[in-house]
Formats: sequence, structure tokens, C-alpha cells
Amino acid sequence: MSAYRFFRFHLSVMGVFALLSGCATPPPADDPDAIAEFKEADDPIEPTNRVFYAVNDALDTYMLRPAAQAYRYAVPPRVRGGVHNVLSNLGSPVLLTADMLQGKPRRAGDATMRFLINSTIGLGGIFDVADSLGYPTHDNDSGITLANWGAPEGPFLFLPILGPTNPRDATGFGLDFVMDPFTWLGAGAAVSTLGWVKTGANAIDSRERVLDPVDQIKKTALDPYATFRSLYRQHRQSEIEAVRDDKAATIPVWFPQPAPPSASPPVPQAAAEAGPLNQGK
Amino acid sequence: MQASNDLRPILHRRLFLGLVGGGFLSTAICGPRGAQAQPAPASASAFVKSTGDRLVAVINAPGPIQDKQPQLAQIIESAVDVDGVAKFCLGRFWRTATPEQQKQYTTLFHSVLVTNITGKLGEYQGVAFSVQQAQPREDTTIVATTVVRPANPPTKVDWVISDESGAPKVVDVIAEGTSLRLTQRSDYAAFLSHNGNSIQALIEAMKQQIASNS
Repeated sequence: MSAYRFFRFHLSVMGVFALLSGCATPPPADDPDAIAEFKEADDPIEPTNRVFYAVNDALDTYMLRPAAQAYRYAVPPRVRGGVHNVLSNLGSPVLLTADMLQGKPRRAGDATMRFLINSTIGLGGIFDVADSLGYPTHDNDSGITLANWGAPEGPFLFLPILGPTNPRDATGFGLDFVMDPFTWLGAGAAVSTLGWVKTGANAIDSRERVLDPVDQIKKTALDPYATFRSLYRQHRQSEIEAVRDDKAATIPVWFPQPAPPSASPPVPQAAAEAGPLNQGK
Repeated sequence: MQASNDLRPILHRRLFLGLVGGGFLSTAICGPRGAQAQPAPASASAFVKSTGDRLVAVINAPGPIQDKQPQLAQIIESAVDVDGVAKFCLGRFWRTATPEQQKQYTTLFHSVLVTNITGKLGEYQGVAFSVQQAQPREDTTIVATTVVRPANPPTKVDWVISDESGAPKVVDVIAEGTSLRLTQRSDYAAFLSHNGNSIQALIEAMKQQIASNS
């Protein structure tokens, strides 16, 4: 009797705990396929995540998406491109820090040259002159740095405002914010206003760039939350692998290139043609 | 390039190929290949090039995308192993589905895939693409391409080609690191787990989706 009561009490405590923390219920232990699927999703607080997904989705539907649509409607593509370039250029310090912490000299060099060239010849970053001079753009952030240092990803999280993430990427987001010189730049109303303008412009610029794909996903997915979860994970994984596998030489494009090392197993024709220059892509 | 954690379970489908490993892959690169081998890189590249050229020709032709749907559907049906992809996307539920449900689901999947792809291609007017290197991976060959659209940064798109259905067919498209079939499978898996693992519910949802999107 007492064992039974204890068991019932235990169950109800677990139930309350699950409600409060919004834990997903694992499938029964005798269903290995379902358990494998549960582990693959790696979303232990799925019910809570789905609540925040609904909140963010509402904010997006009534605020961010209309703002991005208005921006697309009112501003011609070339101006939008310029705005995007300026914002990317302002992100250079964070980008360069990540490149250096990952030990990728070629990427760090690209980031430095891009910042120097685009800030001057590119008129404050409006025109991406550096790209045509052989310093292509790339993305990077502290989440990728942490991943390449071996930090585990952790479970999936959907945070208010921030959206799909995980403990590692959320930490990286915080680090990027702290490392960004614009966070610490000066004081006073004008500077903080500029900071907010930059944040707002970044949000609208990034949202405008994904208007069509996001609309398409919401239209075709049976469970958009799960689809975004899967897309986010896969995309981050590919970004992390791209950095890890980037063994680009530190020799600039305009400098005579050394002969590629003669590989002992025959290399596929197309791979040989791609040459060392395109390895960083 | 190493397989990501997400891709591992699928890529390891054929333990046999994994065990035979590097020696097997290098003979496949060098030339003559076994009956169960992945498509040779050169022929996979040629296949992707011809399929891509056909798609680009239709997309860039004048006229709204709706009018091009039949032509695009025809290319997709001939170049993609749709039955294989359908089976993959249902995952473990394929085994629990009745033969009748499998048939119904596969038929619906054909039209879902075609409407999804043509829906994505609507904004691709003016597209151009180039084929880069091809490399074997497990029982498939992955052909890397770069897709360029006006006013957009170039996109990396990998085509996964398999011989499993008898002829070289596309079994997956990986755009910027995101696999189309993996994403679709996780969508269906999530839907099924929230609908009591009922395949009938999935079939009804797919019917509704086709009705609302066409």
C-alpha cells in the first residue's frame, strides 16, 4: 500500500515537474525506433520550445514580416544591397575575431582586407569592392568557434526573439555581443540611437532576404516547427564543417600560386580543375 | 568532407560498402565499377549537367511558372527516384504502413514533391548553374554545383545520385548544407508523432495540402 502511494506520489510530482519545465515525454522503452527518433530530434523541452515558437511566429506575422515586405516594396534592390553591405561591413570586427580564434589565417586576412577596402574605396561599406579584388565574403560567429573548439551542441532551444538555437549557439550569440566594439562604443543618446538603428536594420535586412523561402516552408511543411528545427541544425552543421575543412592557403589570389601537391591516388578530373584557389569556398 | 551527425544513419545504410571502404571507392573512381557501385563521377556529373540544363531552359523560358508546371513535373519524374525518396521520407513508418497505405502515400508524395519543387522554382527566373567536382560517398555519388540567381549570392547545391533504381537518379538535393529529404522526413516524423503515429492522418494531411496549394 505504502509503496503504491509512494509510486502515485512520485508520478504526480513528475507530472507537475513535466508541466512546469515543459518536458517532452520520451517514448516507451520497448520501441527502439521511436527512441532513436526522439534522440535524433534532441528536443527535450519541446513543449516549451513550441510555445516560444508560437510567440515568435505571431511577432513575425504581425511585425517583422510586414516590415520586411514594406522594406522590399519601398526600397529598390540596389539600395537594399548597399544597406546589406554596410551592415556586413560593421560586422567585420566580430567576423575577424571568430576567424582568428578558429586559427584560419586566410579567412582572417580576407575579413581584414574586406574591411579596409570596403570602408574606404567602398565608401563606408556601401559597395563591396573587395569581392571583385579577390577577397570574397564569408560568414562566421562565436557559435562556430565554440563548435570547432569541441564544445557540445546541447539540446535544441527555441528562444523568444532569438529563435532557433542551442546552448552553444546562444552562448556564441552572447560572446559576439560582448566582443562587438559597437556594444562599447562611446555613450550618449546619439550613439545608443545608432546602435538601435543598426539592430533594427539588421533584423529587417535579414528578414527581407528570407521572405520567400520562409513563406514557402510555412506553406509546404506539415509541421513548420519541426522543419525549422531540422533546417537550423543541418545548416549550422554545414557551416561548422565548412570552417573545419577550410584549409585554404594563405597566399593571396593575385600572387603566383605554388604547384598543387601531386596526389598519389588519382584525383577526379573536376576536383583537379577546381585547384587550390577554390578550396576556401 | 565528412558526413555530419545527422547524415550518418542514412549514409551507413549499407554496411557492406562501409566495410569494403577506401579500396572499393578508388576502383570506382579509376574506371570499371561493380554492378552495385555508385554511379561513376563522370557519368553522374554528365547526368546532373543534362538534368540541370533541362530545368534551367524551362525556368528561364518566358511565361508564368504555373504554365511550366507540366514540363517541370516531367523532368522531375524522369530524373528523380521519387518512389525511393518517398520511402525514405516515411522512415520507420514505411514498415508499419499497409500496402494500400504505402501505395496511396507514394502517389500523393509524387504530387507533393512536384508542387513543392515548382513552388520553390518560381523565383528562379534568370538562373544559371555550373557543375563542380563529383565525389563518391557510400553507395551514392555527390555532384557539387553552384547556382547563381540575379541579385543573390551564389548558392552551393549538392546533388546526390544513386544507381539503386537501375539508372542514375537524383535521390537528394542538399542546398547550403540542408538536405531536402532529411528535412522532409523530420517534418513527417514530427507530424506523425503529434497525430498518434497514424499514417492515415498523414495521408489526409497530404491530400489537404495538395488541394490548398494547387
